[in-house]
Amino acid sequence: MNEKIEEILYKVEKPSRYIGGEINSYKKEIMENTIRFGFAFPDIYEVGMSHLGMHIIYNLLNQIDDVYCERIFSPWIDLEEILRKENVPLFTLETQSPIDQMDFIGFTLQYELSYSNILNILDLGNIPLKSSDRNSSHPIIIAGGPCAYNPEPLAEIIDVFVLGESEEVLMEIMDVYRNVKTEDLSRQEFLEKISEIQGVYIPSFYEVEYNDDNTIKNFKPKQDRYPIKIKKRIIKELDDIFYPEKVIVPYTDVVHDRAMIEIFRGCTRGCRFCQAGMIYRPIRERKSEKALELADKLLKSTGYEEISISSLSTSDYSQLNELVRSLIDNYLSKKIGVSVPSLRLDSFSIKLIEEIQKVRKTGLTFAPEAGTQRLRDVINKGITEKDLTEATANAFELGWNSVKLYFMIGLPTETYKDLDGIADLGYKVVDIYYDTPKEKRGKGLNVTISTSSFVPKPFTPFQWEPQDTTETLVEKQNYLKDKLRHRNIIYNYHDSKTSFLEAVFARGDRKLSDVLIKAWEMGCKFDGWQEHFRYETWIKAFDECGIDPSFYANRKRKYDEILPWDHIDIGVTKKYLINENEKSKEGKLTQDCRSQCTGCGINSGFIGGVC
Amino acid sequence: MHKILIKYTKVDRMKFISHLELIRVIERALRRADIPLRFSQGFNPHPKISFASPLSVGVSSEGEYMTVEVNEKIDLGRFKDRLNSELPEGIKFIKCKYIDSKSKSLMSLVEYGTYIVKCNTKREYKKNEIEKILTNFLNRNEILFKKRGKRNKVKIINIKKLIKNMSVLSVEKKDIIFRITLSTGSRGNLKPDIVIEKLAENTELAIDLQKIRVHRLETFFFENKKGLVPLEKIN
Repeated sequence: MNEKIEEILYKVEKPSRYIGGEINSYKKEIMENTIRFGFAFPDIYEVGMSHLGMHIIYNLLNQIDDVYCERIFSPWIDLEEILRKENVPLFTLETQSPIDQMDFIGFTLQYELSYSNILNILDLGNIPLKSSDRNSSHPIIIAGGPCAYNPEPLAEIIDVFVLGESEEVLMEIMDVYRNVKTEDLSRQEFLEKISEIQGVYIPSFYEVEYNDDNTIKNFKPKQDRYPIKIKKRIIKELDDIFYPEKVIVPYTDVVHDRAMIEIFRGCTRGCRFCQAGMIYRPIRERKSEKALELADKLLKSTGYEEISISSLSTSDYSQLNELVRSLIDNYLSKKIGVSVPSLRLDSFSIKLIEEIQKVRKTGLTFAPEAGTQRLRDVINKGITEKDLTEATANAFELGWNSVKLYFMIGLPTETYKDLDGIADLGYKVVDIYYDTPKEKRGKGLNVTISTSSFVPKPFTPFQWEPQDTTETLVEKQNYLKDKLRHRNIIYNYHDSKTSFLEAVFARGDRKLSDVLIKAWEMGCKFDGWQEHFRYETWIKAFDECGIDPSFYANRKRKYDEILPWDHIDIGVTKKYLINENEKSKEGKLTQDCRSQCTGCGINSGFIGGVC
Repeated sequence: MHKILIKYTKVDRMKFISHLELIRVIERALRRADIPLRFSQGFNPHPKISFASPLSVGVSSEGEYMTVEVNEKIDLGRFKDRLNSELPEGIKFIKCKYIDSKSKSLMSLVEYGTYIVKCNTKREYKKNEIEKILTNFLNRNEILFKKRGKRNKVKIINIKKLIKNMSVLSVEKKDIIFRITLSTGSRGNLKPDIVIEKLAENTELAIDLQKIRVHRLETFFFENKKGLVPLEKIN
């Protein structure tokens, strides 16, 4: 261990998250030609290590002989303070190298509120924040993940964005970068060259003009050779693509501390608020035999005591029954837990859960998202009140006594009637419990109702819609607080100011890079952590940059407005999104596209033919 | 049922993992090694592993002990090699043996621990100078320490009787190394850094309290005839 860092670690909380050397982490010799890639998760270790994507990329890159991928996380406040005081640069976990020694630093953009942490990481590594202030002595700053689909707020900071699934494109980028290592290509030539790769977006190659009303007038490449539209990348065949057979096993208790098997990508439900449902299309499944084989290898290589399957909507997996039954058969006797999240709670799923949780009945979770059938139709959430009441009745009879209900407030067209609907559903669940025979139901009912505030996201049918103001959201929360006073009901809600900032950055443009830098300079970081979120400071930063945040969060856009992310092509057409938005206003449902194609466009430009 | 007694080390970067983290590291290593573990009953079955005396974060050791219960008798040479290949660098099994499966828990047997403690002084001292200070310190009738208990209750205890032995091993410029044997375990437990703190507080020895480095050498039980016996001698 580096002596100086070792000394520092004696003084910080939970030093084990900074020491590296975990089982299945990579130790490689660094040679002249080694491409050093720092995979950076802009949050603390416990959050970052729970992210499946990180494990995939880490292992994928380290499979390449001349590439060494190391990990970088945000240090917690106490370590940051000491690093700054003692002038020690932020280091990678694998070799404790200062992060500016990397050839690449790759950020994963999982949520907008982690952006200030990106700046903090760069600064702690003595790396200039703006792309234009960096040169060939600095690492190339690359970023991907769901938030990269609207890359514009980070356009001045990130050098290269990777859009879509990055397993293949990263390899292609490494192939080109080898020529930089041998000094056959300059940094500029490298960027030019990779701009030809599908899925690569280099923001500095494009320029934006604005109208007087601050909307975008024009967005165009600076040279004709740069693509006008940047298409996302997808992996065609999930069974053929790399999936790690071993993953790092953290010492410390991380958020998701278990082996994870990804069973499919994409979702066919078409909920109109959901970005994941649009950007990850088309749906692609991993075969259950393949999933089982991976589960076995992962459990053997990690020693984990729990296995979980991962996808956007587990119930939609065509071989779910087979898969879960095999997992139970194979592992329950070895005291390995099986967890199956994101189930839609129909009677089949309840039976499945019953089997998994033979003794311990943890809480059941339902996500009706909206309180009335009308509003659920608006958002195309194909769930009825009957689904919910039947499932809870079923669950209470089997002995459950704890139910969580998730809703969103501030959805388009929402009225107080819809809020009443949330409360009604809550009380109905309470009634169902007390109607269940005493000898069957578990003792002591807990109904937790949580509301998050709707954040309109790019590439969804609601991308043109305004977010409720924070004042309106608070009023709605207070209204529900009053309505939900009951000894069996707990009401939780998200901070509306946090949702507001999220909405600003979700649909922001390039002008926000400066606000972000300003806010970070004023001390903002860990914005996703309630105890660190400094709303007033953010507002001051917007003020000083002369930018009105509500322009991004609370404004209704017209269909013909150029949106900051219009140059990104996710395969789903704008026409489809407009059509869906129009249908939502009439409360018309769109079917699950597994039953019949709904014409979103993904099968024409991207995969050709049928999904 | 069979019980294996394991002596192991926890050094280098592994000194930074907490006791709870250590338990997980060991459990998962045992699972990877496919050892026929015995599990506890109940909602949340756990392998039957127990430890002698948890170390504080930052303290290294070459004399740690635990027991693991297994369902079938396995070859211990292979067991040790297999586990050492599955454990992270810094944790190493050095001795394994079967003990009476009905033997008392390690936790209830432990009485003493011996430590090496490294500290820095603010000026240079000679060895005999420090030894004199130490003798005076140890000759006191009481050395009082304010212990913070549950719910922040403060209890004043005399730690004098918990110090079995303390000597100066070496002095080099501003570095002193002490060797200390202290009560360790459920019937009385004293951390070496507290002894050093008290030493600094009660004598003229100026020690940098921010930089006390502790290493455990051995853990003992007590027998009337033999005195301190390393836990590895348990039968």
